Amino acid sequence: MFRSSSLRLAALYTAGFALSVVALGAISLITTEAALRRMFDDRIAAESASLIQEYRTEGREGVVQAVRERDRTPGALDYGLQGADGRAIAGRLAGARAPAGWSVLSMGAAREDAERTRVLAARLPNGERLLVGDDVDRTEALNDELVRRLALAFVGVVLLGVAGGWGLSRGVHRRIASITGTAQAIIDGDLTRRVPAARAADDLGSLAATLNRMLDRIGVLMESVRQVSNDIAHDLRTPLTRLRARLEASLRAGDRAERVEAIEGALADLDAILGTFAALLRIAQIEGGARRAAFRPVDLAELSRTVVEAFAPSAEDAGQSLQLRAEGPLLAEGDPELLTQMLVNLVENGLRHAGPNARVEVRCKRAGGAPVISVVDDGPGVPAAERERLFDRFHRLETSRSTPGSGLGLALVAAVARLHGAEASLDDAAPGLACLVTFQTPG
Amino acid sequence: MKLLLVEDDAQAAAFLKRALAEAGHTVDLAASGRDGLLLAAGEAYDVIILDRMLPHLDGLAILRTIRASKVKTPVLILTAMGGIDDRVEGLEAGGDDYLIKPFAFSELLARVNALARRPPTSDVTTTLRVADVEMDLLKRTLTRAGERIELQPREFQLLEFLMRHAGRVVTRTMLLEGVWDFHFDPKTNIVDTHISRLRGKLDRGHSRELIHTVRGAGYCLREP
Repeated sequence: MFRSSSLRLAALYTAGFALSVVALGAISLITTEAALRRMFDDRIAAESASLIQEYRTEGREGVVQAVRERDRTPGALDYGLQGADGRAIAGRLAGARAPAGWSVLSMGAAREDAERTRVLAARLPNGERLLVGDDVDRTEALNDELVRRLALAFVGVVLLGVAGGWGLSRGVHRRIASITGTAQAIIDGDLTRRVPAARAADDLGSLAATLNRMLDRIGVLMESVRQVSNDIAHDLRTPLTRLRARLEASLRAGDRAERVEAIEGALADLDAILGTFAALLRIAQIEGGARRAAFRPVDLAELSRTVVEAFAPSAEDAGQSLQLRAEGPLLAEGDPELLTQMLVNLVENGLRHAGPNARVEVRCKRAGGAPVISVVDDGPGVPAAERERLFDRFHRLETSRSTPGSGLGLALVAAVARLHGAEASLDDAAPGLACLVTFQTPG
Repeated sequence: MKLLLVEDDAQAAAFLKRALAEAGHTVDLAASGRDGLLLAAGEAYDVIILDRMLPHLDGLAILRTIRASKVKTPVLILTAMGGIDDRVEGLEAGGDDYLIKPFAFSELLARVNALARRPPTSDVTTTLRVADVEMDLLKRTLTRAGERIELQPREFQLLEFLMRHAGRVVTRTMLLEGVWDFHFDPKTNIVDTHISRLRGKLDRGHSRELIHTVRGAGYCLREP
């Protein structure tokens, strides 16, 4: 818990906030104190001025009477009237020894609770001295009260910060702990575990969702690796058995010609097995997706022309025909080498399955802005239910088990298409089959 | 020819050395990248055959070092199956050709022969001549015994490749790469079909056949 980054952050934040409360309190204390003192001084000066005015209207007796009267009033200021020589005449401050102008006097200095008084000494027009003062401790009491309240606020801020930080980090910590727990479970081998979905659609929630998607993707890849190893085990067993039989036959062969024939047959088998391996590795690498670095603009029509020109003579020799239908350049972003191999696989697939006298056509066109390459044959076609599985590794129609082919041609087509963000699909061309690769609309 | 073979698998190396020797070549063997580097820098070879995966030292690192020290000997790189970027990387590092393991020995032999430097001809050759066949590379025209023969552009490229390698065996894979830029093996034998059409145009009406099939290897264009 104490290594929780959110708690550390909350503590830091609280400390910073408390520090600023202290600074704010100090500033307000200083300004309040100054303002209070000024207010007190103003009141003393106003009283002094009003008594001097009293002298002018009511005479000296009026002043003496006013001083005595105010001394009796509770809560009033302190007053004193002295003769010009300093002898006491009237009022509580009459005995004070104050210099002219402002001063602070300690009254009854001998006592413990000495009162300090702020005094203004002025002269009446007849030369007598008028003292007006106020208890300094009253301003200080006000200040103390302010300090007490600020301290209370400080404690409140700190408590609130600590409690808030604790609560906040506990919530975050719990959610991170659930992610950590899931990761640990997966490390321990339980690949089906997922981070519990968060109620809140916040950053941690989206992190959890992203992690889950990543785990799903890893799961799919793991499954496909498992599938491939199974497929290899199954699909290579037959050719490997045949290879072994041929090699044994070559050992038993009576004459040289027979032996050479058996070994050449074995080599052909071996090449077919190696070809299957190479295709599998290639598909795996393409699915790894590392090839996008080699992407550049490719004219699919030009690429198709090269492939059709390369395969048309062989098709003609087999009594088939291979044609290109393209209306000008068809640009897409991609890896020309892989796209060429993809198209070659489609063309070979079409020629192989459409049978003798078949017509196969490569079409390049745009559909709603998206480049589409399609290879259409007029062969027997494939039932709709079978079509999607044709893109799986090693999936072969039962009817074509006897014809050569590894069952990987269309799997490679699908892998190349996926790498290009394109979609490989099969369609009925009545009567034949149409293989389509639809690229993304550029831009 | 004098060849350097850098290969760490002793059995494979011994087999290759014997087979290359049977084909009339002298072979020096280096079992490690360090030995290979020393030999390549110290001796004069016609072709270096370099395995890409060597213990301790990557074959491409050796190749770069060789090239950095101005050794211009042609290098054939042997790469592992499935590495689809290996070819580009190998050529960028200064390799002249590449071959994917496992390979047929005839393929290796044909490529080694094709790589060996021929007697110095000017780089700006504009005419290729084999027997009574003359190819003008600028005008893209072809004559045999003075008679004009019309070829499709791809057929012209195919014949040009054969003429540039005249007297040497070229394999189907070499033709797929050199003429069509196909760096994979199609299942259909398109090379044989195109060769047979080219033969029809080039050798028809002439008593001497120039394009010869080399069994188990490929084709060879030469005077009979």
